[in-house]
Amino acid sequence: MIRAESLVKEFRSYERGTGLRGGLATLFNRSYKSVRAVDAVSFELEEGARTAYIGANGAGKSTTVKMLTGIMTPTSGRCLVNGREPYLNRRRAALDMGVVFGQRSQLWWDLSVPDSFRILRRLYRIPDSVYQRNLRLYREMLDIDALGTTPVRQLSLGQRMRAEIAASLLHDPRVVFWDEPTVGLDLRLKESVRELITHANRELGTTVLLTSHDIGDITAICDRVLVVDRGRVIHRGTVRELAGTATSRSVLFGHQEGLGEEETLTRVRSVLPGSAASVMEDGRFRVDYPSAAFGSREVLSILLEHFEVTDCYAPEPDLESVVREIYGAGTGAV
Amino acid sequence: MRYVGLAWFLCGVSLHRLVEYRADFMIGLVGFLLRVGVQVALVHIIFSLVPSVHGWDYEQVLFLLGFAILARGMDKLFTDNLWMVGGFLVRTGDLFRFMIRPVRPLFLVIAERFFWPDALGEILLGLVLVVYAGSRVGLGVPLAEAAVTGPLLVLCGALVFTGVKLVTASLAFWTTTSHPVMHGANQISEFSGYPLELYGPVLRRALVWVLPFAFTAYFPARYLLFGERDEVLWSPVAAAAVLAVGLTLWSTGLRRYEMTGS
Repeated sequence: MIRAESLVKEFRSYERGTGLRGGLATLFNRSYKSVRAVDAVSFELEEGARTAYIGANGAGKSTTVKMLTGIMTPTSGRCLVNGREPYLNRRRAALDMGVVFGQRSQLWWDLSVPDSFRILRRLYRIPDSVYQRNLRLYREMLDIDALGTTPVRQLSLGQRMRAEIAASLLHDPRVVFWDEPTVGLDLRLKESVRELITHANRELGTTVLLTSHDIGDITAICDRVLVVDRGRVIHRGTVRELAGTATSRSVLFGHQEGLGEEETLTRVRSVLPGSAASVMEDGRFRVDYPSAAFGSREVLSILLEHFEVTDCYAPEPDLESVVREIYGAGTGAV
Repeated sequence: MRYVGLAWFLCGVSLHRLVEYRADFMIGLVGFLLRVGVQVALVHIIFSLVPSVHGWDYEQVLFLLGFAILARGMDKLFTDNLWMVGGFLVRTGDLFRFMIRPVRPLFLVIAERFFWPDALGEILLGLVLVVYAGSRVGLGVPLAEAAVTGPLLVLCGALVFTGVKLVTASLAFWTTTSHPVMHGANQISEFSGYPLELYGPVLRRALVWVLPFAFTAYFPARYLLFGERDEVLWSPVAAAAVLAVGLTLWSTGLRRYEMTGS
């Protein structure tokens, strides 16, 4: 459904001198350097896939999305969405796509949300049955009626994002590109948004490409991940695998040994060499151990052996730190 | 056909908005009345000092001015949202929202505000001036002919205005903002409301060959008032040429567009 073939985007940035003298010199003698925002990225996503495209700020995520949505033309390489190069035939490609850029609005700034929707209905020639069905859905899940006839520019960020998300799905697109879609939403609405896209994916087979810094979004919506760093894909796999690549895992526990905090920490470090221990705010202890050196059973039995454990909890590996580790590795390796 | 339907629909939306922004409308109207008032007063003052300027008398210049205002109003009524392109749409990256729809971006940009109500004032006032001055001074061509060619010439004139606006707005794709250039061109277009004989040879040639504002009112007025047809025949060509340059710049620019930020 979505294919990128050695996709490259370079930006030219002019080197400006500083101050008045530098500024004047720039006027007459412009030198520029090229920056590769996207560096030979290739991937293929099947129809109905739900993929998270993740990376640090400036990793080239948004640039890639802009090429996939046809807003920018690649410097070299190409990408295909539903078999077409979107930047070559933008209007045709747009029919199949729904887009959200969380940082920007795509709605009509001084019209109300219902007016915007009416325009979209005309632009995409949305059949009446589809339009009504989707409106019903948004009423139920996003409480879209609560936005009333307020012009979009007067909506709060959370209200506006609800409208943006609904607008991106209104025409039942086959592919959805969501760039930071849950910015400014509270937990309940995030939940609804995730449900909405999962629903579209299940019922219509909508393909989803999501970029987000919200690990909750990624685990709730997506089943696969592409991790980019400095314009290159440095990791691909399922979300589950990603969690499995965690090089460090943790255990939280409490005990009634009659030991002081310092003594406890020292004991943990000595029985589980290579691990880090710290005291939590609630008085429990946190152990971060290298997953290569110990299995979780092993850690638990060691702890049970050395402490009178009263409470024990092994949280899911923290994807954020996993991703951070991958960035770190990517920087070194490539 | 599809675009005609869409345009009709979006006109309705724009009118709807008009009701919501009545203050905007009033401010626009007052500003416009002031501007045109100054122009007419200027003509009036000049002709209270001299009986004629290079063979143009008071009513003839009013006719010319009215024709210019009419053509400009027709253009403004539909396409003034182009100012946003040069002003901020390119600079801020917000132009993207016109590029993700299954409709031509240029149409969408213009149609975002399709109906500029203060332009109605210009059209009305232009009509009044043209009819009043025309009936007093008499036309140089038969009335039946003028009734056919007049509206066509207004259309050509409006398209010249649109074309120049499109050219200057599209420059923003290279310079990130082209608002000053658009403003400059707009200032120069004010020259179109007076006889070209008033200006030096450089400006005169520029108004014919570079920014062909001479075709928006001056040549049409010479034809309608004095029956001089030689130059006015080129009006459609001038309009088509500027529009062609504008459309080429627009689509070339759109292809190299780099949406900034996020």
